[in-house]
Amino acid sequence: MDTLVTISVVSDSRDHAEKGIDAAFSEIETLEKLTNFFSPDSEISHINRNAGISEVKVSPETLELLDKALFISKKTEGAFDITIGPVITLYDFYKKIKPEDLELKKKVSFVNYKDLLIDRNKSTVFLKKSNMLIDPGGISKGYAADKAVETLKKLGIHAGLISVAGDIKAFGLRPDGRPWRIGIRNPRIPPNPPLVKGGGGGFLDDIMATIELKDMAISTSGDYERYFILNGRRYHHLLNPKTGYPAEGCQSVSIITKEGVFTDAFASGIFILGHERGLKVLEEMGFEGVIVDSTGKIHITPQIRGKVEFKKPV
Amino acid sequence: MNLKNLFEGTTKADRILFIVLIFLSFSGIVFMKEVLPEGKTVRIEVNGHPVYLLPVEKDRVVSVDGPEGETVIEIKNHKVRITKSPCYNKLCIHQGWIESGAIVCLPNRVVITIGNHKENPPIPPFDKGGDGGIFDIDAVTG
Amino acid sequence: MGGFLISMQLQDKYRIALLSAYAIALHGFESLLPTPIPWLKLGLANIITLIALLLYGIRVAITITLIRVTLASLFTGTFLGPAFILSLGGGVTSTLSMWFVLSISPGLLSPIGLSLIGALFHNIAQLFLAYFLFIQRIEAILLISPVIIFIGTLTGTVNGVVSGILLKDLKKADKKIQNENKSE
Repeated sequence: MDTLVTISVVSDSRDHAEKGIDAAFSEIETLEKLTNFFSPDSEISHINRNAGISEVKVSPETLELLDKALFISKKTEGAFDITIGPVITLYDFYKKIKPEDLELKKKVSFVNYKDLLIDRNKSTVFLKKSNMLIDPGGISKGYAADKAVETLKKLGIHAGLISVAGDIKAFGLRPDGRPWRIGIRNPRIPPNPPLVKGGGGGFLDDIMATIELKDMAISTSGDYERYFILNGRRYHHLLNPKTGYPAEGCQSVSIITKEGVFTDAFASGIFILGHERGLKVLEEMGFEGVIVDSTGKIHITPQIRGKVEFKKPV
Repeated sequence: MNLKNLFEGTTKADRILFIVLIFLSFSGIVFMKEVLPEGKTVRIEVNGHPVYLLPVEKDRVVSVDGPEGETVIEIKNHKVRITKSPCYNKLCIHQGWIESGAIVCLPNRVVITIGNHKENPPIPPFDKGGDGGIFDIDAVTG
Repeated sequence: MGGFLISMQLQDKYRIALLSAYAIALHGFESLLPTPIPWLKLGLANIITLIALLLYGIRVAITITLIRVTLASLFTGTFLGPAFILSLGGGVTSTLSMWFVLSISPGLLSPIGLSLIGALFHNIAQLFLAYFLFIQRIEAILLISPVIIFIGTLTGTVNGVVSGILLKDLKKADKKIQNENKSE
């Protein structure tokens, strides 16, 4: 996965804490093996190889993941679509490669979550058309965070914080009795500016807001995570499943709710929907969110006003 | 190396300068060590910003990240030292243990001071409680 | 006579290039030394600067300092970074301070004393720069100054001694070449 996973756990006993942390890492590793798009042995790759050919039997975790993905696709009017595989693979953000229009049009026709069929009784998954590909990257980290927290709770750990590459789940309180505090990155200020001249600042300049989480998860999707700029246009990894091009309405979207699987996927989905439709979806779902639109203006869900602190007033 | 020859090559001004410098710097060091109060808290800053404020009573090892890499700091027996640092000259490591005063790793922009700090910086791992300020952050999303 | 002057100039340019090379090589050599010997830092290259100052004057000395600091930082990938600024500030201040003393009172200090001055101002400049650019806590700077200056005094002495010895050898070699030229 090439992602940074950080697990913090509160316990009276060091031994207990270490056992919990080991089990949580182990759970994340197991899930990674099942869902890794790039690993030929994963269940996802198995499903992808059999697209248009046959259904594939999968473990309950993979089934749950895909089931939730479809739910989220429905709720975001298809903006989040786990079958985005054929199109995302056309981009290379390191080598700065983007597809030609014709190529994109062809591949985009294979993106459709409605063609992903799940049979809960048989525990199988089937991709209707060949050339379809599932890429669970936009939902698997949040899911992993959820499962890891479950593992910790089962082992009797009541408070902790798990971050899977920025998809964060907090439970319980910190040892000082306060809720966990999470920083939300400013989409346009990179961390650790190279040379600090004179006056202070520079260390946490890249944080635009902090939020306190009580048994909640938070994820952020931004146009600055994987991107390159070509001919003045920004190509980032949050692609509109209908066009195959990067969505343009937002700079970053942060979603807060109980489950990490939702925060992860809805963050991508709402990024693509844009702030107007996005806020409506959040209201429907009862989630909280912070949306930075393409002009840099910040929109927040009404409930969140007291809980999040912005560096500059919003 | 003929010590006598060396001495003869020096002028009076040379010798005065040498003695003055040694005396001043040495007494400065002694002053720092003896006269400054032994601190109760160890403050670790990177790039001018507080990262840790730890009690000197609890033995522990922490690490901070600076522009050149990871600096590892140890607190033991009410003393502090830098055990590892990516800097070129390792002067910070060679300062050894301090009970009061400061150690600085210039290249990695790490400043450690022992004192009786009362101000507000963040305190992972929460022995004293965070202050809820902008530096009190447990994780970052985005 | 004209031919004589030109050959001297060429010789100087050759020497500058050679000295710069020595300075950079010494810098590189230092970085290979095992770390239990921290006080040799920045020592060795200053020997070159001092000798250049005494033999060829301030312009040559400053040039060599600039070349050394720039090339060393380009080589280590720290060009324009904080290490470069500190090196540059320290090196230039040190060279200028030594020249200043030489200009005001040439016989006052031997190479050892000059080296002490150079080391002192090198460190003062670096402490200053560190304060303004990186570490805004004046207490920390004040707290570490004595140690830095103490160590600087020791290295300055060693460098001064080495410079003195090298200087004698170089002067001998110089006279020899001059004599050879005259006899042509």
